[in-house]
Formats: sequence, structure tokens, C-alpha cells
Amino acid sequence: MRLLTLSYIIALGAGLGLASAHYAVAERPPLGRLQVGSWTAWPRSGGRDVDPYMRAYLARGVHLPLGSGEGLELIAERDESGQALDGRCRYLITGTTPTTRGWTLNVTDADGHAFRLPLERSGFTDAEIVRDESAGIRAIAGTTPEAGNWLPLPIRGRFQFRLRLYDTPISGHASELRPESLPRIGRIDCR
Amino acid sequence: MTTFKPSHGVSHPVVAKAKRTMSWRQRITTAIRRFALATLAGLVLAGIVHIVTVLLIPLLSERDAATAYAALGTGGQAELVTAQTADLPAPRDADPALVTAVCSYDLSAGPMRVVARVGSLPLGLSLHRRGGGVGYAITDRAAIRGVLEFVVMTAEQLDERLARDEEGETTRELRVVSDTEQGLIVARVLAKLPSDRPDAEAMAKGVACGLAD
Repeated sequence: MRLLTLSYIIALGAGLGLASAHYAVAERPPLGRLQVGSWTAWPRSGGRDVDPYMRAYLARGVHLPLGSGEGLELIAERDESGQALDGRCRYLITGTTPTTRGWTLNVTDADGHAFRLPLERSGFTDAEIVRDESAGIRAIAGTTPEAGNWLPLPIRGRFQFRLRLYDTPISGHASELRPESLPRIGRIDCR
Repeated sequence: MTTFKPSHGVSHPVVAKAKRTMSWRQRITTAIRRFALATLAGLVLAGIVHIVTVLLIPLLSERDAATAYAALGTGGQAELVTAQTADLPAPRDADPALVTAVCSYDLSAGPMRVVARVGSLPLGLSLHRRGGGVGYAITDRAAIRGVLEFVVMTAEQLDERLARDEEGETTRELRVVSDTEQGLIVARVLAKLPSDRPDAEAMAKGVACGLAD
């Protein structure tokens, strides 16, 4: 009876402990996450004060996160109304970025890889984008070609926008980011 | 007496039955209590296992970037991770516009000096500890006369160097302490236009990392 109890305790402890640890570090942890409008960032992932869950997540794959002084990576999985980004829809990205020496905006899958599309364009850098009179960003993401700055999307399924700001003063105090200072992602229509 | 006998004979099994049901109830309650106690102990153990596992993953992981790129840049010059010839895993979540070169370091032989010449393209240097996490990051805006230079060392090596410093003399070198002996120096150059890529690759590969002394 005692042996049975002991083996039950050990099985429960090891099973639940290992499973919960695996689950906690399989994805980017909710700890230390910063949500600004549609964009999500983990500003502490590039600093010395990285939390143990993020550190374990980074150690489980070939990750080279941007350092705190180097830049900031922002990920969007939803548009500004909170609906998940879908390849069957068209999106309009407008607005500005915080002061940076350079930025890139990319369309990726959930793992951060570019999609294999017939057209070899997965993103824009700040030098490549065509600006309007107000010098803001205005890009349309969709499956079919669009006039102006066009980001091709996969035919269907979920995707992410990744905005990377390089050498930006905001990376040190990312918690002061406001939704107005980042590009907005608006849904135009869906097929 | 004769009237008692049958009643006594009848009452005896009833008492025994009651005793038996009592003991069954008791047994069930002790079993439940024991089960609850064991579950509680299991949950406490699960919490300990969870914390220990999360803390051990960075120390034991063999899939992290520092292990994957351990062979790169040991010759004193940074090497591109995007090189098609090497059979290396690509860094995850990497920006396609970035050119990344890596120098792996092992401080057991002594401190390492990292020297980068800056150009017109944005360059960032960062120190990634073995087991995940950025220890230090610097960009080309901190360059002095077009050169970005720092020395990576452990805390003990820093103490040694401080002891060796001449009194009253200021040292020019920037000293960066790494809390692990192994890790990576990552040089990233942003190629804003596809035509910038050769320049960016030359800049990233131009980062020198050799023994400091």
C-alpha cells in the first residue's frame, strides 16, 4: 500500500511537472509579453534580465534574439479589430514607426519563416517602401497584386506580420510604446 | 433465559454488521484522506519538478544557437550563418534582410577581443550566452573613429585585468563580462536594399575575434 502511494506521488509529480514545463516553454511564454495595439513584443528577451521561461524557450532552438540596444521585434497575429490574420483577406497597413535607423516589415508563418510564394517578396525595408506625401507607411497585403506597396499573402491560412525596428531608442523602454506610434493593421475585405 | 437466547442470537450478527459498516466507512474516509494527501504531495513534487526542469533546460540544451554554431568563427574571423556550403540550421525568427555572421568563443583560453569596422549600413554586435539569452549588445553608433571594439572575459579574468592595470592610468578598452565560458558573438548587418547585400556580407565577415593578449 505504501509502495503504491509512493509510486502514485512520483508518477503524478514527474508526469505533471515535466508536462507542464514542456508546455510552458514550447511557445513564447506569456510572462514578459507586451501588447501594443495589434503588436506583441517580448522586450526583455534581449536583455540580461530575461526570465527563466523565455531563456528556456530560447535555448530549445537556434534562436538569436535581438539585443535590447540592438532592436525590437514586434509580432502581429491579429488585425486591429482583434480578428486573426487570414490569407483569404486583404489588409491595409498604415501609420508610422518609432524613430529607428531602419525597419523591416515581413509576412511570415507562425514559426517566423517566409512563405514559399511564386513572387520572391516577403517583406519591405524602410528603404524599399514607396511613401506618400505624408511620409507614412501605406502597404496592402493580399493574395492578388495591388497598386503601390504590395505584400503577397499565402492563398489561405494563418500568417503573421513581423515588424523589426533596428537601433531604436524605444527598445530600452518598450513599455512606453503607444498603439499610435506603430503601424495599424486594418482588414479591407475577405474572399 | 430461553426468550433471551434467540434474541441474543439475532442481535449478535446485527452488531457485527454495524461494526463492519463502521469499519467500511472509516476505511473509505482514510482511503480518501490518504489519496488527497498523496495527490497534494504529488502536486508539490510536480511544482518542484517544473521549476527544476525549466531552470535546467538552458544548461542541458544541445539545440541552442551556441551549440549549433560552435564551429563557426574559431579561426579569428566571423563566418556567415547563411552560408549555403555549411550544413547548419538556419536561425529561427531571422529577418531575411539581415546578414548574420557568428564568432563562437570559449574563454577558457583567455579573453577575446572583438573588432568590427563600421560602414554605412547599420551594424549590431551582440553577445549570446550558451544556453540562451543576450549578455550584451552594442551598435555601430558607439564606434570610435569607425571601429567598434570590445574585449569579452569572465568575471575572474576581469579581476585579473583590473589587478594588472597601471595605477592612475585609464584603459581604453571596453570590457564585457560573460557569465558563461562559451557563447557566440553575433554580428548583424541590415541590408536595406538587395544591392546592399554584398557590402553587408563583407562587413559582417570582416568582424575579427581573436585572443585579446
